[in-house]
Parts: sequence; C-alpha cells; structure tokens
Amino acid sequence: MIVAENLTRVYTMGRVEVRALGGVSLEVEKGEFVGIMGASGSGKSTLLHILGLLDRPTSGRVVIDGTDVLALSDHQRTLFRLNRLGYVFQDYALIDELTAQENVYLTSLVRGADKEEYLKRSAEILRRVGLGDRMDHRQSELSGGEQQRVAIARALVNNPSILLADEPCANLDSQTSKSILDLFARLNEELDQTIVMVSHEEWHKEYFCRIATLQDGLISDMTECRKA
Amino acid sequence: MFAGLGVSSFLAWKSIRRGNKGTLALTIMIIALIFVNLVFLPSIISGVVENFNTQSIDFDFGNLVVEPREGTQYIGNASDLQQTIERIPGIVGTSSRVTAGVTYFYRGRNAASTLYGITPEDERTVTRVADYMTEGEFLSNGDTDAIVMGAILAGVEEEAGGLPSLQGVEVGDSVEVAYPNGETRTYRVKGIFETQSFGVDTAAFVTNREMSEVLGLRDQASVILVKTEVNGREAEYKKELLSYGIQEEIWTFQEKTGGVIDQAIQSFNIINAISTLVSLIIAVVVIFIVIFINTVNRRRQIGILKAIGIDQQIIINSYVLQVLFITTVGALAGIALAAGVTTYLTAYPLVFPGGPVYPVVEASAVFRSIASLFAVSVVAGYIPAWQIVREDILTAIRG
Repeated sequence: MIVAENLTRVYTMGRVEVRALGGVSLEVEKGEFVGIMGASGSGKSTLLHILGLLDRPTSGRVVIDGTDVLALSDHQRTLFRLNRLGYVFQDYALIDELTAQENVYLTSLVRGADKEEYLKRSAEILRRVGLGDRMDHRQSELSGGEQQRVAIARALVNNPSILLADEPCANLDSQTSKSILDLFARLNEELDQTIVMVSHEEWHKEYFCRIATLQDGLISDMTECRKA
Repeated sequence: MFAGLGVSSFLAWKSIRRGNKGTLALTIMIIALIFVNLVFLPSIISGVVENFNTQSIDFDFGNLVVEPREGTQYIGNASDLQQTIERIPGIVGTSSRVTAGVTYFYRGRNAASTLYGITPEDERTVTRVADYMTEGEFLSNGDTDAIVMGAILAGVEEEAGGLPSLQGVEVGDSVEVAYPNGETRTYRVKGIFETQSFGVDTAAFVTNREMSEVLGLRDQASVILVKTEVNGREAEYKKELLSYGIQEEIWTFQEKTGGVIDQAIQSFNIINAISTLVSLIIAVVVIFIVIFINTVNRRRQIGILKAIGIDQQIIINSYVLQVLFITTVGALAGIALAAGVTTYLTAYPLVFPGGPVYPVVEASAVFRSIASLFAVSVVAGYIPAWQIVREDILTAIRG
C-alpha cells in the first residue's frame, strides 16, 4: 500500500522556482490499478518519480508498505527499489549491452538468486509477456513494443509489491499500446499486482480502477473506474 | 567496496565483450607500450651497469685490487703474496703488475700513457685482454723486446677524440718508450688489442721481467689483481683476504670504480625516474579519458542501473574491473612486446662507448612496473566512474 501525504516538489532553476507539486495526497491500496493523468507539465511524472524513490519531495511524506521511505538512506532506498518496486520507463531504459533475458535477470543477480532459478524465472516471465523466442536478442534487435515488454518483464521479475509505469505506451503505436495495457490489466487481475501508471491518453482510462487527475501540481479529480 | 563483485564482473564482462572493440584494442595497445617503456629504460640502464662491471672485472681490475701499503710505492715480495692469495679458497688467479707513466714515440709522433709490466700467464688467469687481440698475438712470458698495445693508443681508428694515440701503429712496427727514470727502450709491436675499455685500450703491456729490469725492481709490484670464482661477492672475498693477515691495501673493483659508476647510475636513475613518471602520467591520463568518456557516454545507463536498484558501488566496481582487465591484457601484451624488444636487442645490441650493451630485464623492475601500472589504472578508472555514479538518478537518466 502507498500513502503519500501533502507532497510538494519545488525545482530551482537559477533564480526561478518551479512548483511541480503543490501538496498532493494519494493512497493506493494493494491490488489497485491506479492511473495518474493530466496534461503535460501537470506533475504526473514528478509524482511517480517520488513514489518510485527516484526523487525526493521538497516536503511531505511517503509510506510504502509501512515504511517511511523518505527516512531511508540512499543505500536503503536502492535496496527498497530493488526488492519492493518495479519501474517501467517511457523509453524502456534497457541496458543495450545485455540481451533481453540478461536485462530481466540482472536484478535477480544482484539479489543473489541461484543461477538456475533466475534463468528459469526470467525465461518464464519473458514467455508470459510474449517474448519467449526473443530472449537472446539485444535492445537494438527488438521493436519498441518488444523492448517495452522486456522492460515490464524486468520490473516484474522480483515480484515487486508495486509496479510503477511512466507513460509506458508513449512511444508505441496504438495496437502495441493496447497489448501492453492488456498485459498490465491481466497482471492486475490474475496476480493482484498493484500498478500505478502515468498516462495522458484518454482511451487508457478504461484500464484503470481509479484515476487521479493532476492539474498544476494538484489532484484536481479522483475518479473510480473499471473496478468501481 | 567488494560487495556484489559477481554482478560487477558480469556487467564489466558484458561491456568488454559487447563494447567498442577498436577502443578496447587501442587502449590495451597504449598500456602495452607504456609497460614496455617502463621496463625498457631500466633494462638498458641495468645493461650499461652490467657492461661496466664486466669490463671493470675483465679488463681493468679483476675482482679485487691489492695495492702497496700507505707510504710505499711498491708491494714487496710480490710473488710470495701472490702465492698466499692464490691458496685462499675461491681465488682463481692473481696477476702482479708494475705500472708506469711513459711516453711513446712512433714516426715522429708521441703520446703519454700508461705501460703495464705483466706476467702474461698470470694475466690470463685474471683479465681477458689476451682474448681481445685484433691483430698479432699476446705476450709470452719470455718476451723482452715485445709490446702489445691498445687499439686507441695504436691509433687504429683515425679519430681518437683527444685520447692518447700514435695514429697508425701496426703489428711488427717499432715503438720507442721513454720510462720515467729516463731510460728508453724500443719494442716491436707484437699485437694490438681492443677491449672497448678506454683505460685499457689507451695503454700497452710489456712483460714484468722487462719492465722490472728497466726500472730496477726485484719481485715488486705496483698492484696485484685478484680474480675470484664468483662475481658479486667481492666484499666477502676482501674480508677473507684480510683474515689471512694481508697487510696491503685491498679494494674491491666497485670501490675502485665507485665514484664514476655511482655518478653515472645516479644520472641514469634521474632519467629513469622522469621517464617512469611521464609514462605513468600518460597511463593515468589515457585510462582516465577512456573511462571518463565511457562513463559519460553511459550516464543514462548508469542512471538506469541505479533506478532499478543496483548499488552504486557495484557500478563503480564494474568500471574498475574493466580497467583491471584492460591493464592485465595490456601488461601481458607489454611483456610479450618487451620480450621481443629484448630478444632483438640481445641479437643486435646497442653500441655504447664502452662496448655493446645488452638489455638486462630484472624481475623486480617488471613487478614494479606491473604494480605501478595497476595502481595508477585503478585510481584512473575509479575516479571518473565515482564522479558519474554520484550523480542524481533522474539527471543521469535524462543524459
């Protein structure tokens, strides 16, 4: 479960202060598929970065599964990201020198998993996202949709309690986007996976349980959708 | 520091295997050349020192030099002293020499230099001058009117560079010698030798019997040269000789040459230190640039690795391991290259004024070079990786 309380984030650019978040509070229950929507510059990605422990808020509090994550040291935050969170980037963010399977099992390797176990697990997840026959391919040999599927497989490999996705379909055509969203929906339904996803596409709304709409760094609307 | 070395190795290996092969090969080659440079100059310096020591033993002094007691000009009862010394275990031979500063005259030309009176058979047990005859023969014990002459003194080469030279003496010619006591003698040149040692090649030898007769000496010697079984243990042999109650002054060849060779070694060491420092700075700069460019180009990748939960120490270590790999392969290539250069220079040695110099590669110099190369490489690899890895995740990801 995620509890975010009164989050603010102010960026200083020279003498100018830009308020990206103006006091956002949000709760995400286990098993929810929450969409964060809003126009460009509304603060969606900033919020997700803070929830994903990639950035720190200027003020506020974030508690994930009972842990006050802002009180953690950098090293503890790294471990928290490794063990508890899965993050899917807009531009896939794969390591080009690694194959699809190596990208997926890299974090398992860091966690000290047994070789046989991580090979089996990564292959299984890649098969589940439809890339069973592309495991030995490198990023440059995969299409955009395939790369995003690898990124999703990487985010899921360690069974994270929360999957965070930052506009995962932004660079994909509508058909591929649909297949990615279908995959998220399946993970959410079948595995009860908690997912927080940033999007600005209206048609994505049908996949979310709940939608937090941001405007000028504040939640302007909270809508119950699919699982209402 | 060593946490997650398995993951660091994994990332490092993938980066090496799938990274830019040309850059990798070029970096390895630069490290190999730096290694050769680190080893090459000390090996030449060692070769020069070795050459100098060998020449000093073989042509100038033997291993030990026995000189008259303080206040006396000659060693008395020289043959008894020779016998005493030769009975000491480890002594191979002795040569009693009478030395005089003389003036040589030849076809209207003259040159002042040293003349040695020797017992040829004894001399052969200590020095190797007799093995370096370029013309004619060495002296025999019974020769009284014969002289053998160094190539510089004889003037075999037209240019003597300010050294004493009679400019064109050949075997069979007659040379007049004016002794310090006013006596003059004419000798037939029996042979000419060339040892490449200036001190010897500017001098000449007659028999001890002849010189003693001219100078009115009876069983006396200016010096007794001593040859030992093993080189490098002169100080021990000197102690041994002293323990036999020998009252004369005893010097090791190192003590006799000390001033000259020490100065030369000091100068060489300064040159070597500068060369080593420059090589290591080049190594640091090259590796720093390679890793810096590598990390800057992979800023985004480093950010991604941090974002998915990879500790920054693992990332830094992966770069350090890449540097260690590059340095290891570079050092191995350098060893192969240095072996090739050494083999070539052994077959075709560099010619110095003292003779051909063979490179002497000392194990300690190789280990020192490897160790210093690794030390600077690790530092040069660690710093840029550390700088980039410390960057904020989102800044790094945005490149």
